[in-house]
Amino acid sequence: MLKFTIGPSCSGQDRINQMKSLSLKICFLLLIPVAAWGRTIVVAPHTAVSSLKQAVGQAKKGDTIIVRQGTYVSVNTIIDKALTVLGQGKPVLDARYQDEVVTITANNVTFDGFVIQNSRTGSMRDFAGIRLSKVQNVTVSNNTLLNNFFGIYLSDCDSIRVLNNHLSGSNNLENSGNGIHLWKCKYVLISGNYVTHHRDGIYFEFAKKSTIRNNLSERNIRYGLHFMFSDDDTYIHNTFRNNGSGVAVMYTRRIKMLGNTFTQNWGGSIYGLLLKEISDAQIEGNQFIRNTTGIYMENTERITVAKNEFKSNGWAIRVLASCYDDHFTDNNFEGNSFDATTNGSLKENYFANNYWDKYEGYDLNKDGIGDVPYRPISLYAQIIEQNPQSVMLMRSFIVNLMDKVERAIPSVTPETVKDDKPMMKPWKR
Amino acid sequence: MKRICILMALTALLSACSRGPEPILYGRDACAHCKMTIMDKRFAAEIVTGKGKVYKFDSAECMADFLKDNAGLASNDKTMFLVSYYDRPGTFENATNSVYLQDAAMHSPMGGNVGVFTSEASARSFGKDTDAKIYNWAELLRSR
Repeated sequence: MLKFTIGPSCSGQDRINQMKSLSLKICFLLLIPVAAWGRTIVVAPHTAVSSLKQAVGQAKKGDTIIVRQGTYVSVNTIIDKALTVLGQGKPVLDARYQDEVVTITANNVTFDGFVIQNSRTGSMRDFAGIRLSKVQNVTVSNNTLLNNFFGIYLSDCDSIRVLNNHLSGSNNLENSGNGIHLWKCKYVLISGNYVTHHRDGIYFEFAKKSTIRNNLSERNIRYGLHFMFSDDDTYIHNTFRNNGSGVAVMYTRRIKMLGNTFTQNWGGSIYGLLLKEISDAQIEGNQFIRNTTGIYMENTERITVAKNEFKSNGWAIRVLASCYDDHFTDNNFEGNSFDATTNGSLKENYFANNYWDKYEGYDLNKDGIGDVPYRPISLYAQIIEQNPQSVMLMRSFIVNLMDKVERAIPSVTPETVKDDKPMMKPWKR
Repeated sequence: MKRICILMALTALLSACSRGPEPILYGRDACAHCKMTIMDKRFAAEIVTGKGKVYKFDSAECMADFLKDNAGLASNDKTMFLVSYYDRPGTFENATNSVYLQDAAMHSPMGGNVGVFTSEASARSFGKDTDAKIYNWAELLRSR
């Protein structure tokens, strides 16, 4: 009897021991990730931890701070440890116009889900909503920035992601900063953001090898996007709408501009895309719709303009005589008042296989390519160049007559500017 | 009635003849050299030629670069050169007797890092770099 009872109970004891050691092992295994995740500190109004500053003070490297819904005063809260800072229910951090709102000075920080508002303004310093200074591998995502002088300000940074933020500036004509501002940065990804009412929506100065993707920049005071001395950047699938001027790319090399939309940039000396002193750029698959000037080019070298659509602009392209070795191919020009103008004799700029709705040639061999060249610069465009007031004669009988005569017997328009292979039908994407 | 007519004629004449600086419309006017829209009141500059033509610039360095390309204007005694002081934004002062500070602390629109001041002392007080340079007008033109 005893033997029978002891036997199974003994083996049961063994099993319990086995299970104990197993659960110990599991616990041990669980402990490792727990240590790596760090602690979680919760910030909420009227509790022991009622400000982000307090939480950062208590936190250690690798911890997570969760900020609950509410409004918090944040006069330049400095995040100087590798932390994950998450806003729950869009908590508001307000600097009350006294200083910056948040400054990140540590690597490997994630800052997500906040409303950042009311930074200080002033001409002596560039106060910002969120400032990143000398850091690497930081993510700033899903924040709403309202009424800040500068929005997100990156200086001396490397490998940063700025994702899905919504920035709205003060719209103060004389005293407003840029939305997303980069100075001396590299490998930055700016994606899915919305910027409005700032000076420049996105501003790059000495920012290299970065990507700007799927952003919407509208109603900014100066430019939707602005490059200065920034090489090897790409911007792709962005929309620049109704800004002071669309996009300015200046003093840079090797910029790729792909699949963007430039629209509704109206006014004197206002352009969809302003290119000045740039080389080796690629402009492909973009849409230029309803701008005073689609592209303005000055001192450019080796630019490829291909497969773009120019629709309903005043001037589709304006290429100054200082540009050379630029190639315009496979573009559609439809409903523009002027297809192209220049201020002198254009040399070494090539046009081929573009569709021009003003082309009146024929295609006898039916290969889809017009049999006589098209000259995109009209006589009247040249006259306006010399005498801007003559724009009042636009669409008059005499102007049409002059243009017809000039097309038949070119004498004033630059001989070299012509498309030898104009397409009979627009190019389709 | 006659008096009003004369007055109107006179004002029309006078306004047509006046040669002087024009206020800059910030956020509207474009720089005559770099084509950028002028935004920053700390750095704007302006040239008024002998004939009264006005060129507006977003920075003193743009004005200096413009004068390099238009040497006739630079040497003409009748040309007026105006600059805004960094610590007094939006003002117009005579450029020829101003002091120019080249320093990384001056984030001027064209990356030339030049700020304009009334005196060397005030310029020095804003300098940050150890290798900051101070120019007078003639030296600034030569440095470009």
